[in-house]
Amino acid sequence: MDLELSEEQQMVIDMTRSMLEEYSTVDVVRVMEDDPKGYPDPLWKQMGELGLNGLLIPESYGGGGQTLLEGALVYEELGRAMAPVPHFVSCVMSANVLLAAGSDAQKQAWLPKIASGEAILTPAWLEPERGYGEAGVALEAKADGDGFVLTGRKRSVPYAGVATQLVVLARTKDGVDLFLVDPKAKGITSKQLLSQGREPHFQLDFAGVRVNASDRIGAPGSGWATWNDAMLQGIVLLAAQAIGGADRCLLETVAYSKERVQFDKPLGAFQALSHYMADASTRIDGGRVLVHEAAWNHAQGRSIARFAPMAKLFCCEAYRETTRVCAQIWGGVAFTIEYDQQMFFRRAKHLQLSWWDTPYLEGLIAADVLDG
Amino acid sequence: MDFDFSPEEQKFAEEVEAWLVENEDPVVMDHHRENFTQLSDTPERRAFMKKLAAKGWLGMSWPKEYGGQEIEGVYEFILNEALSKHAAPQIGKGVGIIGKTLIRHGSEFLKKKFLPLILDAEIEFAVGYSEPEAGSDAANMQLKAEKVDGGWMLNGQKMWTTSAHFADWYWVGARTDPEKPKHDGLSLFLVPMDHPGLEVQSLPTIGKDTTNQVFFNDVFVPDEYLVGQRGKGFQMISEALDLERFTMFTLSPIANRTEVLVDWVKKAKRDGEPLKDDPNVRRLIANIVTDTAVAKALSTRFVCAAKSGGKPPTVQSSQYKLFTTSLSQRVCKDALDIQGHEGTIMEGQDDAPLRGRFEGAYRATMNETVGGGSSEIQKNIIARRHLGLPKNF
Repeated sequence: MDLELSEEQQMVIDMTRSMLEEYSTVDVVRVMEDDPKGYPDPLWKQMGELGLNGLLIPESYGGGGQTLLEGALVYEELGRAMAPVPHFVSCVMSANVLLAAGSDAQKQAWLPKIASGEAILTPAWLEPERGYGEAGVALEAKADGDGFVLTGRKRSVPYAGVATQLVVLARTKDGVDLFLVDPKAKGITSKQLLSQGREPHFQLDFAGVRVNASDRIGAPGSGWATWNDAMLQGIVLLAAQAIGGADRCLLETVAYSKERVQFDKPLGAFQALSHYMADASTRIDGGRVLVHEAAWNHAQGRSIARFAPMAKLFCCEAYRETTRVCAQIWGGVAFTIEYDQQMFFRRAKHLQLSWWDTPYLEGLIAADVLDG
Repeated sequence: MDFDFSPEEQKFAEEVEAWLVENEDPVVMDHHRENFTQLSDTPERRAFMKKLAAKGWLGMSWPKEYGGQEIEGVYEFILNEALSKHAAPQIGKGVGIIGKTLIRHGSEFLKKKFLPLILDAEIEFAVGYSEPEAGSDAANMQLKAEKVDGGWMLNGQKMWTTSAHFADWYWVGARTDPEKPKHDGLSLFLVPMDHPGLEVQSLPTIGKDTTNQVFFNDVFVPDEYLVGQRGKGFQMISEALDLERFTMFTLSPIANRTEVLVDWVKKAKRDGEPLKDDPNVRRLIANIVTDTAVAKALSTRFVCAAKSGGKPPTVQSSQYKLFTTSLSQRVCKDALDIQGHEGTIMEGQDDAPLRGRFEGAYRATMNETVGGGSSEIQKNIIARRHLGLPKNF
């Protein structure tokens, strides 16, 4: 048993952190809030050049071929920096879907471009008045000649405004299927809906959008299994992202509590406040090890069907709760736009509700524990 | 990074597990005793500890010259987790706090007298730090030790000495130098429990076992039973806590309760329907299982920090204790909420669900967030040593 990082792993962290400190400053993050494009070119370019976009993509497709553990280390830094990038939708979710189920042609066409950052793919998954599960996918893909016709509405599609391709989850006669769709295809209209985390989110309407049979990813009816597996890996990274955000939020608050004086004492000398911070640090430090354990297990080829939802469930709540108590320590200023605390506060809840929320994750864990 | 035990550690864990299965004995091993399972307070339990001693499992981490094997503390961690998983008595005070302190600070006389007895499981200790005026403020001990010819005269009172009614020797802190600052005026003594000046009074608790208060009436202790240097008592007490992180709070009893609850929920019915299909029950179980995994992660964290041999893993240990003891109580609370009115049936009756395991555990775990350094003390430690916040009391 040993929690030490290798020299290489520590280098990945240091490199990512110092790059983000330069290219994902709070000022940059603020400018990107609500921006329809949503990411700054210099940051995205740096990430590509440092190999971070292809980190988890096999070397044969131009990636770095690293494991989920290295991914988690990078995601803690992305969370710490609140980095506004389409990395998760493109380089993780879309890439994993293609890797797991894509045809050779689809992989060749997209994975190298995803790895370089040249192409941005994003999943179109959630729908109005529908949940996170398989039953939530209702957008119809009707067989028509040598292809399909897509009709329905998608919600909360991140970075759809700049996407090269959409990965659309749709319902066919076989079940759920995944399709590669050109976001500029005839019949798609889009509208940006502002989000709590101020990521560029779009509502997309599909009014009889034609796709070719060759644009289906994987065998008929295999879409949900592919998606579910990609999600299990993805949420481990989001748990790491939550830890990064929570850790920075806490460290900034600890620093503030040493300087801010009331009743002739620094705030940190009041037990009522220092105990909030001690609790938060315990959740963050425990959550981080849980994330590493989940990622390590995946890297060892073991199932993460229970670990992954546990990691996201715990770490997203740790992030949310950390931002709540930190706001309490900052006092009124945390409520203002001027101070940065509100940025963590909003992002924490946004992340908790995105990519499987608390009840859904609890359902997955309960099923694994009780129904096995 | 590696979350598995090494092949050697794994082999040892399997050996211990197999031995415990072979030596299964309901008189010795009783989950219903909850946190008191660690004590060897009955003849059967003492006989069990003799068998452990014969296996060479006591004092494994001690230096060879004192009969140890000089192997890593993680083996004692593995052993204690296995023992507590089976609700067997654990290695603890003797091998840990007292043995290790004597090895580092004790005179040749004390080492020769006590270390072999500890290794052979021939001796049980009680530890006396707490007093009416020294609870969380442990350095505030007032038990008076006055210098007299050839030794010390002890007068005063100790609180919460759980093992006082069965132990052979008392490891006790007393104030030898009242004129010095409170942390520098304490010394440690070894006193035979059958000393006529000691009066042990039982303090019944809402858990299943009692604890004790102990009164000292002119208890004479010869000079050679002063441990280490006069005035260094508090430093030795703190150091021993740091040395003993490996064996202090085991996770297995909590993991065991989670497992027992999950198995029960899987089979239980309510109004003719499987209880496990109740969405509220499912949410509670999901969170208990998740938090148990986090407790294990925090345990892994402090074991790895202790293994690294750097500075003592005080912060990691505090985080683990803080999180795990509150989880321990939550598991019992949630279990009773899941059992509903049947959860009120008092432990020990066959008609109670799980013979009232959680009714009893709910009571027995009440003190976990207080004893061994309260949650608030742990938070103070984390705030100061981990976050660098100013002293706040």
